[in-house]
Amino acid sequence: MSEKEIEVRHLTFQYEQNDAVLQDVSFQAESGEAIGLIGANGAGKSTLLKLLVGLQLQFEGSILIKGLSMEKGNLERIRADIGYVFQDSDSQLFMTTVSEDVAFAPANYGLPPEEVGRRVQAALERVHIAHLKEKSIYKLSGGEKKLVSIATILSMTPDIILMDEPSAALDPRNRRNLIEVVNELDPLKIIASHDLDFIRDTCGRVILLDSGVLVKDGPAERILTDRALLEEHGLELPLSLQSAGRDS
Amino acid sequence: MEQLAKRNQWVCAIHPLVKLFLTVFYIVLAVSFSKYQLAGLLCMLVYPLFVFQLAELSFFGALKRLRIVLPLVCLVGIFNPFFDREIVMWAGPVGISGGVLSMLTLMLKAVFTVLASYLLIATTAMEELCHALSLLHVPKIFIVELMLIYRYLTVLLKEAGRVTDAYRLRAPGQKGIAFKAWGPLLGQLLLRSYDRAEGIYQSMCLRGFKGQFYSARKGGFRRADFVYLLAFTTVLSVLRFLPVAEIVGRLVL
Repeated sequence: MSEKEIEVRHLTFQYEQNDAVLQDVSFQAESGEAIGLIGANGAGKSTLLKLLVGLQLQFEGSILIKGLSMEKGNLERIRADIGYVFQDSDSQLFMTTVSEDVAFAPANYGLPPEEVGRRVQAALERVHIAHLKEKSIYKLSGGEKKLVSIATILSMTPDIILMDEPSAALDPRNRRNLIEVVNELDPLKIIASHDLDFIRDTCGRVILLDSGVLVKDGPAERILTDRALLEEHGLELPLSLQSAGRDS
Repeated sequence: MEQLAKRNQWVCAIHPLVKLFLTVFYIVLAVSFSKYQLAGLLCMLVYPLFVFQLAELSFFGALKRLRIVLPLVCLVGIFNPFFDREIVMWAGPVGISGGVLSMLTLMLKAVFTVLASYLLIATTAMEELCHALSLLHVPKIFIVELMLIYRYLTVLLKEAGRVTDAYRLRAPGQKGIAFKAWGPLLGQLLLRSYDRAEGIYQSMCLRGFKGQFYSARKGGFRRADFVYLLAFTTVLSVLRFLPVAEIVGRLVL
């Protein structure tokens, strides 16, 4: 049976004296779901993800992660359950080799070296890059970096995975490979992206944000095929649907 | 440098505390020579030469990497010949003043210090060095600071590369960077590096970082570590405290 992993109630957030970036956002997410977070630039997608991992704590409303309230005292326990994949892989990867970077989290959580080694191997195999294990981070291609970024959080065996623009700057082959990898991941996934085709290929549910307001929350197929709704909020139909429309 | 330090090579596998101790010991002994003890100081070249051989490192590769630092350290004592003109020794018919001798001694001390530090870094990864410092009970805050500076240095260099590339592409035919562009360029560089460094720090915190870097090193001191330490401590002490240069000179003559 699926259980409630994330519960956001009346979330409002603003950076210091600026206008609110998120206004009265409420939603729930259950284990095993794959949720696409879509919206035009500045809609508040990345900010929402950051709030879900506690990178910002001065918000109004409430965020519950696996029943734990998002507050300073709970951060360590909450973060142990969440893997966050940054938009820019260069911010995510900082150790010298792939294996060291993937081992960073389990080592920090105090696991014995043998278990750390097992986790590293398992995470790399899960994203099909075991052959890169000893490769220097600085010599990875963009697609490889993205997969290594995912491996760095899989080694934490998280129950929730948050991804910020995972398909940005990937070539078609790497993008296709990433879609396969993402679809093989079991935990709850929340993926913020402009790439609506990517969202369509990976997510069953979509949350549409516009200027910090949650406009629509529902099945991906319904929202992503609603041209009027998307255009009203600064988006366009996924390219695959546009070309299908032209073909017919 | 990190790739050099992480080679599957036996000097790289020596305990970092041993290498750290030997480097500090060597530098202390080298700088302890008086300003006219050039012959004795020259004997200290044995250590870097040996370690270059043992660690299978290229001496010329090191000189190439240190090409910016070495000329700078060689400026040390450059004015000594003007202040101390008294002839203190003769090389055949040529009289050598105390100033020239002290200048050469100072330069050698600086070069030896740089070479010893290079050898330490080329054979020891930064995490290992920090591990050695933590074994010495150096306060955690200093170790983390050192580690972060090291990580951010790479970030800064990468950003600097991007900024200068972007500049060059839009300033064809221009040599270097125009003086008036330095201000905004440096400002951009700092802001971008700050953003990137913040991203890295957030990524570390989200993966359980609590101010401690974990070393992959397994186990404590091995027999090879003790042998390495004992051998080099003995050799360096002999070179420093016995008149090796004189003894060799007498034997040769």
